[in-house]
Amino acid sequence: MRLIVARCEVRYNGRVTAVLPMALRLLMIKSDGSVMVHADTGGYKPQNWMTPPTVIDFEGDPVERIHVRKVGQDDELDITVEEIVSDVLHDMGEAAALEKDGVERDLQEALAAAPEFCGEGLRLVRREWPTDIGPVDLMCRDETDGWVAVEIKRMGTIDAVEQLSRYLERMREDPVLADCRGILVAQKIAPQARTLAASRGIDWVEVDLAVVRGDREADLTLFA
Amino acid sequence: MISISCQTADLVERLTAVSRVASGRSAMQPIAGVRLVAQSGSVALEAVDSDLAIRTELPATVGGSGGVALPGKLLLDVARALPATAVELTSDETGFVEVKSGAATFKLRALRDDDVPPLPPMEGEHPVQLSAGALRDTIAKVEKAAARDATRLILTGVLVSASGDELRMVATDAYRLAVKETKLDTSIGGEGLEATVPHRALAEVARATVADDATIELRRHESRLIVKWDGTTLVSRLLDGQFPNYRQLLQENFTSEVELSTKELAEALRRVSLLAQKSARLRLKFTEGELQIGAQTQDVGEASESIPAPWHGEDLEIGFNPDYLRAGLDNVSTETVKLRLINPVRPMVLETTDDSAFTYLVMPLRLDV
Repeated sequence: MRLIVARCEVRYNGRVTAVLPMALRLLMIKSDGSVMVHADTGGYKPQNWMTPPTVIDFEGDPVERIHVRKVGQDDELDITVEEIVSDVLHDMGEAAALEKDGVERDLQEALAAAPEFCGEGLRLVRREWPTDIGPVDLMCRDETDGWVAVEIKRMGTIDAVEQLSRYLERMREDPVLADCRGILVAQKIAPQARTLAASRGIDWVEVDLAVVRGDREADLTLFA
Repeated sequence: MISISCQTADLVERLTAVSRVASGRSAMQPIAGVRLVAQSGSVALEAVDSDLAIRTELPATVGGSGGVALPGKLLLDVARALPATAVELTSDETGFVEVKSGAATFKLRALRDDDVPPLPPMEGEHPVQLSAGALRDTIAKVEKAAARDATRLILTGVLVSASGDELRMVATDAYRLAVKETKLDTSIGGEGLEATVPHRALAEVARATVADDATIELRRHESRLIVKWDGTTLVSRLLDGQFPNYRQLLQENFTSEVELSTKELAEALRRVSLLAQKSARLRLKFTEGELQIGAQTQDVGEASESIPAPWHGEDLEIGFNPDYLRAGLDNVSTETVKLRLINPVRPMVLETTDDSAFTYLVMPLRLDV
């Protein structure tokens, strides 16, 4: 990863022509060929960028010009450097994979230990119940020994309802699981997802992770 | 083969109600079907899903007899789009139904008739009869208090009970509880009626297009509730399990009581609630002669308002979910509302002050978090 803080002008030629006039900017040049031009404002989004595969030519030492061309296309970034403030090269090594859905994993662990928060009388049969289109987060039995598939999300959206619908459709092909019902459990469930779930005969439950873990007292209720 | 001639408006009205039942709660397409059944010169529309079944008569001229099932939503979309006031539906032997209205013609592929489940029994004993207006009012006052989430399935239902000349409905989501009692037009015999009905079924009954003074009948048959009105029968499965013992909550020793103007309280709550965002609590502080209502949302702001209240004794400060409190108050139809309290961690009761017999309990939220 090469990070250059420089006073520079950036010209883009391709589908349109755009110019970023001379100013102090951060040029981020990644080992995969990505090039991003950042200002100190504008959030996470670069002012201009080129995605790989690219061909990058550096002219001068210290750098006076950087030419970036998109392979197989006419897009190019032409960066004219007036002054270098910092030019640092970092060996980042092999990137660790994104820790996916950490909060979801936490929720799943907590709910597996206390499945009654997903529904009164539920008891856990297995976490990550396998189906041929992916694992169901929790497979439980209810008070009448009926099967209950629980899908856990941080945010319950229409996509989550669709996902659980697909699991249920596959599982119900097995005569043993023909009456399996589904519950979507999330910290927050979008109104549209509630409506879709109701129309599909899928129940939903909102949970508070802090309450499930016992870190916070639950709201007062009328019945113990 | 059957042929049906009817008014487009009649078809749309009946299909709208029937299609909601055939809304596809199951992923199975056939169950999302509406069946047209012609028999002895009349026609009925039928739909069934996992919780509900409905049958409604359609005023029409009918030829032939038998049944044909069509996708409910598609048929409703077509009916709504028809250009003329009259429509003809004709089934043929190739499995299509022709829908003709004015210059427009549609050919819809029929579903397999035997794929649509048969209707459950639609008869029961000891009918409870009351006016559609009274039933609608009773449902409207309690139905929204039923739980929407599935943490306790029994709470997704409304407890419907009737005996003598009184109908009572109770709903709760464990955070609030609504009770409405309604006098029946005629006393019922036998053991009366008691059933926990999914709130969705009662919401469908409340939407029935029937005059307020028309009679609606409720009957129980085994694990089903059967509701009849004006050519329509709706059958709902009942929820298994024991509805919570709500009566003991109503019998608690409420040590404080105050009667306030319903309108004054409702308007003050509405204003102050604007600043109770992001799950913020509404604070009610009862002091000598006054009720102070306040709300504060971090990084947004705060609001407060006082209204006169004939409160005597020790001050009491209690917090509530603003939506729950306002939902209860919205159903108080009397000029004044009676509030009964115990302490900041026990429920508050809102009651009407005439014989309209509406009671609402709302559980407070802790203020020390």
